Amino acid sequence: MVRDGERVVCYAPVLPSASRRFPLSTLALALIPRAVALNLALGAVVQALKLPLYLDSVGTILAAALAGPIAGVVTGVLSNTVLGLLANPVLFAFIPVTIVIGALAGIAARLGAFRRAWSAVLAGVVIGTAAALASVPIVIGLYGGLSPTGTGVVTMLLRATTGMSMESAAKIASVATDVIDKPVSCLIVAAVLARLPRRITARLGSAP
Amino acid sequence: MTSRFDRWNPLTPLAGALLLVTAAFVAPPPWAPAAALAVALAAAWWAGVGRRTAVMAASIAIPTWALLALTNAVLAPAHATAMLGGVRYDPVAARDAIAVALRLGAAIAALTAVVAGVAPRRLTRALAARGLPSWGAYLIVASLEAAPEARARAARVLDAQRCRGFAPGGGLAGRARALVPLIGPLVAGLVVESDERALALDARGFVPVRRRTALTAIADPPAERAVRAAMWLAILALIAWGMLR
Repeated sequence: MVRDGERVVCYAPVLPSASRRFPLSTLALALIPRAVALNLALGAVVQALKLPLYLDSVGTILAAALAGPIAGVVTGVLSNTVLGLLANPVLFAFIPVTIVIGALAGIAARLGAFRRAWSAVLAGVVIGTAAALASVPIVIGLYGGLSPTGTGVVTMLLRATTGMSMESAAKIASVATDVIDKPVSCLIVAAVLARLPRRITARLGSAP
Repeated sequence: MTSRFDRWNPLTPLAGALLLVTAAFVAPPPWAPAAALAVALAAAWWAGVGRRTAVMAASIAIPTWALLALTNAVLAPAHATAMLGGVRYDPVAARDAIAVALRLGAAIAALTAVVAGVAPRRLTRALAARGLPSWGAYLIVASLEAAPEARARAARVLDAQRCRGFAPGGGLAGRARALVPLIGPLVAGLVVESDERALALDARGFVPVRRRTALTAIADPPAERAVRAAMWLAILALIAWGMLR
């Protein structure tokens, strides 16, 4: 168009993507694949440090804390889908557990749980317990109670030493491992959130 | 990556794999899961991905069988009524362990054959052609691309910190403290990168709910669609039979 004798080029406006039809902003959409990648990359770091932790949900919890429960759920589902495609198809069966983690982490973030260390640990205990209880029926249905992981070995030891039922042993072993792993993951997320540029947290609507 | 599955629409092997997984878990053991495992392995060999499929299935099914058999049949048996090499064991628990291992092996073999034989981008394009919106296709493809990049970034951060004298030690507490200098740069880098990607998406007018138009359509002949419809029906019938049994 021509305005005051000068030629002006007008571009069509870029519509905001977080609308009533779609609940995630473009920044949240761009963050989710990075959070999925973080879930996978931290596995390599934990392995290098030989730590008895999984830390495979830090990306899910971070996405939930930054962009809300829906972003957390999508990150969790996508993490297990990508890992299922790249490494182990059994992980598809554990998608419900990642949904629980993403949703609870998003709710915890809305309640301000990641502003202080103690509340982050408390949120981790709640998330870990819920995730463990959600994973037990899947482990029993899929593996008969004993997964070929550290949790499976704890279940085997519990059952062999106490003679308790497979379901009880699997529940105790899952809760014991997740109640250590998830609070550490939440503490890491709280530490990261405190150091992130305000420009990014404000754009995602999660500025403290 | 090329396999004989590339001759078909990617949704056809996916439907076949889901049918085998359903059959392995719903139909009575040990013969149904054993047959599903045999079919999955045969399909994988035919497609040219047999070795990877067999290794993946064995690496999960065999340790699971060993753990279950050891725990339920030998260490904590409900009724130890049989002897093998001087060791009393529970034959029912041993049989159950074989059934679980066969089911797991069949499910892993069926899904690994699809994962190894169908390129994820092709599968995403086929799903997009069936109605997967732009945001779903973007998230799947971007995550598949970001995963190896993030692993490489983690290795680079680890190497960089080692060059600066990073040597985790001092037991568990020392190694746990070492997490901070490793995770910090990794997370900060990924979040800043997200900001750049978001700007690029906005600049290109990305609309998440719009369907994408493929440059080259993936063939989906009527005969294949009919076979797929029969497979979906068989899956539903198996699930219904399993619930009513």
